[in-house]
Amino acid sequence: VLGRYTHVYGLRLAVLAAALGLWQGLSAAGVIRSDEFPSMSQTAAALWGQASGSSLWGAVGETLEGWALGLLIGVAAALLIGTLIGMNGFAYRSVIGVIEFFKAIPVIAILPIGLVLWGATLTMKFALVAFAVFWPLVIQVCYGVRSLDPVAADTTTVLQVRGARKFLTVILPSAAPFIATGLRVAVAVALIVDIIAELIGGGTGVGERILVAENAGPSAYPVMYAYIVVAGILGVLLAGAFTVAERYALHWHESQRSAKTEGQNRDYPEREGLTLVVQLSPGGTTPGRAGSHARLAIRRPVPPLVVLVGRLEEPVLPAAVVDPEVAMDPVGDRPGSRRALLVP
Amino acid sequence: VTGPARAELSSSLEHLLAGYAIASVVGIGIGALLWSLRYLRDATSPYLYFLYVLPAPVLVPAALTLFGIGFTMKVVLIAFAALWPTLLNTLDGMRGVDQVKLDTSRVLGVSPLGSVFRVVLPAAAPQIVAGLRNSLQVAIILMVVSEWEASTDGIGYYIVNAQQSFDYVGMWSGIIVLAIIGTVANLLFVIAENRVLHWHYGARAAEGTR
Repeated sequence: VLGRYTHVYGLRLAVLAAALGLWQGLSAAGVIRSDEFPSMSQTAAALWGQASGSSLWGAVGETLEGWALGLLIGVAAALLIGTLIGMNGFAYRSVIGVIEFFKAIPVIAILPIGLVLWGATLTMKFALVAFAVFWPLVIQVCYGVRSLDPVAADTTTVLQVRGARKFLTVILPSAAPFIATGLRVAVAVALIVDIIAELIGGGTGVGERILVAENAGPSAYPVMYAYIVVAGILGVLLAGAFTVAERYALHWHESQRSAKTEGQNRDYPEREGLTLVVQLSPGGTTPGRAGSHARLAIRRPVPPLVVLVGRLEEPVLPAAVVDPEVAMDPVGDRPGSRRALLVP
Repeated sequence: VTGPARAELSSSLEHLLAGYAIASVVGIGIGALLWSLRYLRDATSPYLYFLYVLPAPVLVPAALTLFGIGFTMKVVLIAFAALWPTLLNTLDGMRGVDQVKLDTSRVLGVSPLGSVFRVVLPAAAPQIVAGLRNSLQVAIILMVVSEWEASTDGIGYYIVNAQQSFDYVGMWSGIIVLAIIGTVANLLFVIAENRVLHWHYGARAAEGTR
């Protein structure tokens, strides 16, 4: 295994070196004019210059601030409202059409409204991010809550698990993979919207630096490209961090377990239902309600973090491109759609 | 909607269609190529991923300096941004093809190219379509962003122009038109998807009622 991986890493480094070399070579040979597209060394120097001062880190911090605040608000609202809607069939059928419509609106269309309301401020940035994150995620949460395996639902009813306990032990674990898919998309969308809000709306951050550098003319182009590279790195880091977190939180789920058995025939996450381990207390001597001693638990051994990061290599790519809309159908209204949920 | 607004709309849609068409064809093509060349895939996958997560709007200023204001800049931008979801989903869908099916087609004497069209493409189709749908959304966003930043026509230009001249009625109508474009495009896509993939959903439904 190690041999194959070092081999692949070598190959990748070679590709990177070749691409950077080609860039530098084309600039040096004059194929690319330096006043249009700066050379690799110029860009790298600009990146280094920005990184050694406080300029880069300030911009990154401002971007992350808008990203985190917006994500937090959007996710919290979507979780709360999505759960409430998902648990009530009537509410779900009533509002799902409206939500679908709002989801189809390109966020960019809301930007002018944000600008008019708040101007180029942090509020504008995180309000837009929260808006963009909310609609797709709330749908995911609804689907997740509604996707509860009938057997698990019946089991909970029979065992008289209800209220907060039902939510925490049955509904949330069952909806978790859906929520995770929604979150994965939300993390990426939030960054894009945040940067658009800076680039066009003028809120401070990485996007705004790109715009300023562009307007400053050809001498500042290396700085512009440096910030473009920073935006990409930021995207990779945030998506990577989320994948690690997801792997850690959902290690027990099929999609994560099958992603590890990597091979030619990699299995896609199949939702044959969660592995509900129902443990009945031995003997059942205590009088009381039926099933008051039942413990519903979903248990899998937790791998150490190091192992998780090591396994990140291959599955990162597919995991990030699963489309939530095709992978998931609205559940419950059509009989029979429940079984083949996550099979793309 | 009066005459000028309609002209803005048609030029926007022109950019969108051209960019999206290029992205779809190139995305599926390169995806298939990378699927067949394993070494190339292994070597380039982190960089493809980097380009996929790179927020595409940051490329607008760069494209502006390279291509200037105009048709080329917008189409290139839209095509570039919309390329990655399709490409990566194609690649991933093809990697998920059942090896048994490939072996079967080889045993039955189907040529390698023939098996790509008869076995791999249909098997990967649902995921390719998922990628195409993602690409469409990205393409719409880029259409607006590119017109917004630097343009003399298009619906994005219309909105930003109205906003800057405090014509809020114009701004809102532009926004509503944009929302309608997004909804209609999505609807058309779903209809097309149901037609093209109806065998797939049929099979899935049949499997579900077992």
